[in-house]
Amino acid sequence: MVETWRQRAIAIALLLLLAGLPVLAAMLAMPDLISLGTQVAIYAIATVGLNLLIGTTGLPSFGHAAFFGLGGYVVGVLAFHANDGSALFGLFPGATEGWIVWPLAILIAALAALVIGALSLRTSGVSFIMITLAFAQMLFYLFAALKTYGGDDGLGFRRRNALPWINPRDDVAFYYVCAAALLLVLAGFHVVVRSRFGLVLQGIRQSERRMAAIGLQSYRYKLAAFTLAGGVAGLAGALQANLLRFVSPDMLHWTTSGDFMVMVVLGGTGTVFGPLLGAAAMVLLQTWLAQWTEHWMIVMGPLLVAVILLARRGLWGALGGK
Amino acid sequence: MTLLLEQVLNGLQYGVTLFLLAAGLTLVFGIMGLINLAHGSLYMIGAFVAARTQAATASFLLAVPAGMVAAALTGMVVEATIMRRLYARDHLDQVLATFGLILFFNEAMAMLFGRQPMMAAIPEFLSGSVTFIPGVPYPTYRLAIIAVGALVAGGLYGLIVHTRVGMLVRAGATNREMVRALGVRIGLLYTLVFGLGAMLAGLSGAMVGPLLSVQVGMGDRILISTFVVIVIGGLGSIRGALVGALLVGMVDTLTRAFLPGLLRGVMAAADADSIGAGLSSMAAMILMAAVLMVRPRGLFPAHG
Amino acid sequence: MTPILHVADITKRFGGLLACNGLSLAVRPGEIHALIGPNGAGKSTAIGLLSGEIAPDSGRIRFAGADVTGLAIPARVRAGLTRSFQITTILPQFTALQNVALVAQVRAGHSFRFWADARRDAALVDPARAMLARVGLGARADVPAEDLAHGEQRQLELAMALMTGAKMLLLDEPMAGLGATESQQMTVQLAALKGSLTVLLVEHDMDAVAALADHVSVMVAGRVIATGSFAEMQASQAVRDAYLGDHA
Repeated sequence: MVETWRQRAIAIALLLLLAGLPVLAAMLAMPDLISLGTQVAIYAIATVGLNLLIGTTGLPSFGHAAFFGLGGYVVGVLAFHANDGSALFGLFPGATEGWIVWPLAILIAALAALVIGALSLRTSGVSFIMITLAFAQMLFYLFAALKTYGGDDGLGFRRRNALPWINPRDDVAFYYVCAAALLLVLAGFHVVVRSRFGLVLQGIRQSERRMAAIGLQSYRYKLAAFTLAGGVAGLAGALQANLLRFVSPDMLHWTTSGDFMVMVVLGGTGTVFGPLLGAAAMVLLQTWLAQWTEHWMIVMGPLLVAVILLARRGLWGALGGK
Repeated sequence: MTLLLEQVLNGLQYGVTLFLLAAGLTLVFGIMGLINLAHGSLYMIGAFVAARTQAATASFLLAVPAGMVAAALTGMVVEATIMRRLYARDHLDQVLATFGLILFFNEAMAMLFGRQPMMAAIPEFLSGSVTFIPGVPYPTYRLAIIAVGALVAGGLYGLIVHTRVGMLVRAGATNREMVRALGVRIGLLYTLVFGLGAMLAGLSGAMVGPLLSVQVGMGDRILISTFVVIVIGGLGSIRGALVGALLVGMVDTLTRAFLPGLLRGVMAAADADSIGAGLSSMAAMILMAAVLMVRPRGLFPAHG
Repeated sequence: MTPILHVADITKRFGGLLACNGLSLAVRPGEIHALIGPNGAGKSTAIGLLSGEIAPDSGRIRFAGADVTGLAIPARVRAGLTRSFQITTILPQFTALQNVALVAQVRAGHSFRFWADARRDAALVDPARAMLARVGLGARADVPAEDLAHGEQRQLELAMALMTGAKMLLLDEPMAGLGATESQQMTVQLAALKGSLTVLLVEHDMDAVAALADHVSVMVAGRVIATGSFAEMQASQAVRDAYLGDHA
């Protein structure tokens, strides 16, 4: 994966930047960089999961936002009930401790991915794209209809989840939490891709027919990858909820799924650092373009088309050379 | 009972709107192998141009063709410049590139027409209602849409099955190289097919203007429903698009109309309404998931 | 001697086309058995039915004593019946070594191992290297499969098929697209398999068939019309009629 010296250099630079961003922000007197960086890290985490599906396994899932949003809503709903004193379904009390809520978010997102994946993976190609899209939209409509949790308007809450040793109001500390999570996820991806499991996924991407011919039942491996990706997206969603102290159905909208797909491809499909580059590019573009014009989308659209048509290897390939 | 009949007709009318969109989308997919997310944008363009033309000229009969032509032209330009390069790419790339087009078109419409929703007016000669089923007065305008849909379905059938152009379209779907070798300019054929689909999308948008508000992003939501339709119907099949559209139109309309009422029997009114609304939004997709479990390629998968 | 593969009265219809019409075949263990016949006779369909890609309308297939008629491809492969493709479908982005190692990996059991670097796992890599050497690709082990010459890709296909621990290989035109030298190399390699494996070979290259086949079955219009040695088939009037009848 990290083969040319240029790629090595970029990888090191990215890691340094990740570690030192708050310092940089202080030096440049640009405190906004911290929340920007946190947003990038969170999107990158979700994108790594999708990268495993699209890049490694060749599964074009168009419903990734569902798991991202679910993770966020676990945080939001539990915070709501904790605040309220009421209980979810009359049984479960609310919670605001990170060490309870975050694993729960991952678990629930992964479970949803297991169910949705079990059904969707019976199809392939265009039908797979459509059915993953449909499931995610279903969840979007579901959350938009739940007036108790804000419905269309979303759900805000006052405090971030409590974590040991960390003051949740400290934005720099929260940034480091997200950065650490990102590093963990990136390392995990690197390890998984070269493991037996990862090689099987790569084989499935290259020729599912050949994999069957050597005796492999690909369905269970695709499902495992789908579930894993969902869980990672759930973690990102939980962090996102904490970042803004707000969740809304938009987190589950198909355009959000589209955004994640763009980040995968823009950064470099299948590469370790692609998701980070892709997320950074998206967030930075959206922030800077928006400063120029209210109609920045008009640039974003054609830019995306141009990237798809022309820059096939994504940023990692273009910058790192190969 | 009256209410039921009325809603069934509404379901038919929504089904027609979906069919006009689905026909173009499934043709383009079946023949060129292209998933085009921007199809909804063509519908939106048709709606906007028609509404504006009607406001400017007070003529509905001018507005609808104007919308159709605008959509068709936009479609053909996009096909010649961008789509052409996507035919050879995998579906993921097509999805992403056409996603970019949606962003562009939505913003372009906002720049040209503003973000305020527009209301188009039902033309005089189609206003009021008709009572063709005793005791059930039904809006003339909606009946007109249903009639147009039937005409288009018939016309498409005639075109595809009985004309040489239609034969080329079917042949192009199964064997591009052979068609090319026959001296047919396949590039031109594709542009025309795309244009036809775009025109139908524009027609749908233009007709729907007086019923819904015309606004930026109106194409996105119906796009999802349209994809659900063609997946249910079978990619590449016009017949599938028709059946799928009518099914989805019915399921969506009827659940929306009756589900909240049914739910009020078991829960508080406010909850019943919002959950009913949520569930009916999901209804078509649940249908799609069910169909795919039994027939992974849809109800009428096209051959080749 | 009991046949290792016994095909009994298979029929397969595709819409209006009757591809296999009472196909019956018996292949002895350790032999190379060639399936020849004019174009359109249904040979490729037969391979598809045997490998598990296509399900027959009627009839039974027995392999190594078990009825495999209802088994899907992965199950047949695990039972020891493996097919190679007429159009190569090796994994293009993996090296030759990685291709074969992956087969070893799948054979070793499940692949739900997420931690260790599989590319350095000696239990997979060593047997893979040995297999590549056996088919003559030892020197090209680290070349991406898509960069191998066509003949080398065929050798890789063979290595992968052998790595599945197959008891019987179904080879669908392994000589297709090979030049004279490459065909000879492939013939030598296939000959070396005799005794340790059974092979059912669909082939148009009569030189290869003459050199390799212990027995030949001639398939015409969906059924086998004659079985015997290559010489016997050459001499048979029925076989000549079948082939020449094609040109009449």
